[in-house]
Amino acid sequence: MTLEIQNLHVRTEEREILHGVDLVVRRGETHALMGPNGSGKSTLANTLMGNPNYEVTEGRVLLNGEDLTEADPDERARAGLFMAFQYPATIPGVSVANFLRMAMNAGREEPIKVKEFGALLKENMDLLRIDRAFTSRYLNEGFSGGEKKRAEILQLAMLQPEFAVLDETDSGLDIDALRIVADGVNAMLGEERGFLIITHYTRILNYVKPDFVHVLIDGRIVQEGGSELADELEEKGYEWVREEVAARAG
Amino acid sequence: MPADFVEERRKAALEVFESQDTPSWRRSGFWTTSLRGLDLATLEPKRYEPGLPELDLGDDEHSALIVQRGASIVHTDIQDERIVVMPLEQAVEEYEELVCEHFAKRLPYDEGKFPAGTAAFWTGGVFVHVPKNVQVEKPIQIVWLIDEAGTAQWAHTLAVVGQHAECRIREFFLGGDFEGQALHSGAFELYAHPGAQVDLAHYQDWGRGEVYDLSTRRVEVRRDARVKWVPIHLGGRLTKQTLDIITAEPGSDMKHTGLYFTERDEHLDLFTSDKHEAGHTTGDTVWKGALTGESRASYEGLIHIVPKAPEVDTYLQTHSMLLSPKAKGDAIPSLIVEVDNVKASHGGTVGELDPEQIFYMMTRGVSRAEAVRVLVEGYFEEVVQRLDDPGLEELVRRRVAEKLHGAEDQVREFIGERAEAT
Repeated sequence: MTLEIQNLHVRTEEREILHGVDLVVRRGETHALMGPNGSGKSTLANTLMGNPNYEVTEGRVLLNGEDLTEADPDERARAGLFMAFQYPATIPGVSVANFLRMAMNAGREEPIKVKEFGALLKENMDLLRIDRAFTSRYLNEGFSGGEKKRAEILQLAMLQPEFAVLDETDSGLDIDALRIVADGVNAMLGEERGFLIITHYTRILNYVKPDFVHVLIDGRIVQEGGSELADELEEKGYEWVREEVAARAG
Repeated sequence: MPADFVEERRKAALEVFESQDTPSWRRSGFWTTSLRGLDLATLEPKRYEPGLPELDLGDDEHSALIVQRGASIVHTDIQDERIVVMPLEQAVEEYEELVCEHFAKRLPYDEGKFPAGTAAFWTGGVFVHVPKNVQVEKPIQIVWLIDEAGTAQWAHTLAVVGQHAECRIREFFLGGDFEGQALHSGAFELYAHPGAQVDLAHYQDWGRGEVYDLSTRRVEVRRDARVKWVPIHLGGRLTKQTLDIITAEPGSDMKHTGLYFTERDEHLDLFTSDKHEAGHTTGDTVWKGALTGESRASYEGLIHIVPKAPEVDTYLQTHSMLLSPKAKGDAIPSLIVEVDNVKASHGGTVGELDPEQIFYMMTRGVSRAEAVRVLVEGYFEEVVQRLDDPGLEELVRRRVAEKLHGAEDQVREFIGERAEAT
């Protein structure tokens, strides 16, 4: 049960952004992908979900051995992949509750029972300390940054995917909101799920301990290690990694 | 002598009709509304025997139902004896004074060839009177039906809602899927007396027959009265309408919410005006449309505030969404303000579905077709909820969903092209 990224090269209309990324996430593992702005983190997240703005020119994405490189985003979702967006879209006219029900039913043969859905929703909203009134608002319309992130994690908690990519979920959150989001993620960690947490900062990693840390710079993974690598990055910064890489090359 | 008045108006109007050429209207600089395709000589008023045709009106609840098929009123059913709903021809005789006072007050017969034609040729017609202080809960339903090619339907509705009366009026324009042409040339006038509260809906769904709809509708809102007006356009070969709502005396308030969905080679040309003839009046206009196929839709909305009308507070917004590469639409808000000290704002957009929204929904397992459906329905939802009429809301939601389903392939293709282009 793995999410495998093999030699992934990705370009936008202007230029190539990822120059051969390899990464394997097994179920039950939590990985952190760190890197400075513009290193290609969000490109990787979007490519994993099949965003049509990004073109894979080489390499593959496999989920449990199944090649998803050319799959549409909805097929990927139904195969068990989820992404929490850095900047989620606004969906006017569709309430949070209706959106959640639609997303849950998309992956099911039989639609979820109203009672079951309600109970699950209440449980997860309590977990994320979300107010009841929130669910009748249109998804992301007029939401604050923190509310958008919480709505993303609420979807994660409801959909229970096998693999979840969190794209800068920690950015723009104050410390209380960050704790709530981290609690939500921690509650979902376990043998049945793999996480890829994409972040610029090490802050969220104080609350969610990664098993593995990868550093992405200029479209390549240049350093990998355990959670201690995050601490080292916190202390020394990305410049230190660049110097290490230069030294290795020289 | 009101009957004479009506006859004299017919004669004068006939002269105007016969003296004028079939018009065309230049719209927004890049297309024209032309009646070249309409073969008027082949159309005639068709008479029918009484009988209730099968109709889809959302729900069956009504305080009164009146149906005109072609040139004949074929059905009248009054459930609430406090109100008057009858053929206008009959009302000219039976409610002389009331008709004389209101008939054509704001509908001059010399505004063009078709308004003149309507004034000259109308038959049957509908008269509604809700007397002073009467509150009617269930809707008054008026139906104009064209179910045969070759029909010319000249229509006139006069509605008078008395002081502090309250009611809902729904007027339907329904057609069958026949082959060939037909004409609906309509006049509608509503007078909301002081303190009256009226919810008015116009629901047009002419079907696949080639129906040309050339209509003028005017609503007068008097002191402290309120009218909520909801025109819905869901189909017609060519529609050219002028919809005017006049807040005529202080304290009058109007809310105007419109929706349209065009498909195939349909052509929709709408002009609405929010005219403030008195100070201390308020207005709120929101229109939303979507276009598929090779359809054309032009919406122009005017806010007009005359001199001596200070302290007006009004607002107009219009949006148009293109769902096909061959559809063309515009959304033109305009403003004439002849006085200081008013609040009037307006805005208009023409847009497409946002590929980022579609991507987002698909990452949640929703198919592209479903995402498009949900986004378009969501786009309309703001307007649908303003209908504030569950039966009608359901009908509109269902018809929009059906139309979207029919256009699924072209919308998918369009979205695909756009996604590749970015």
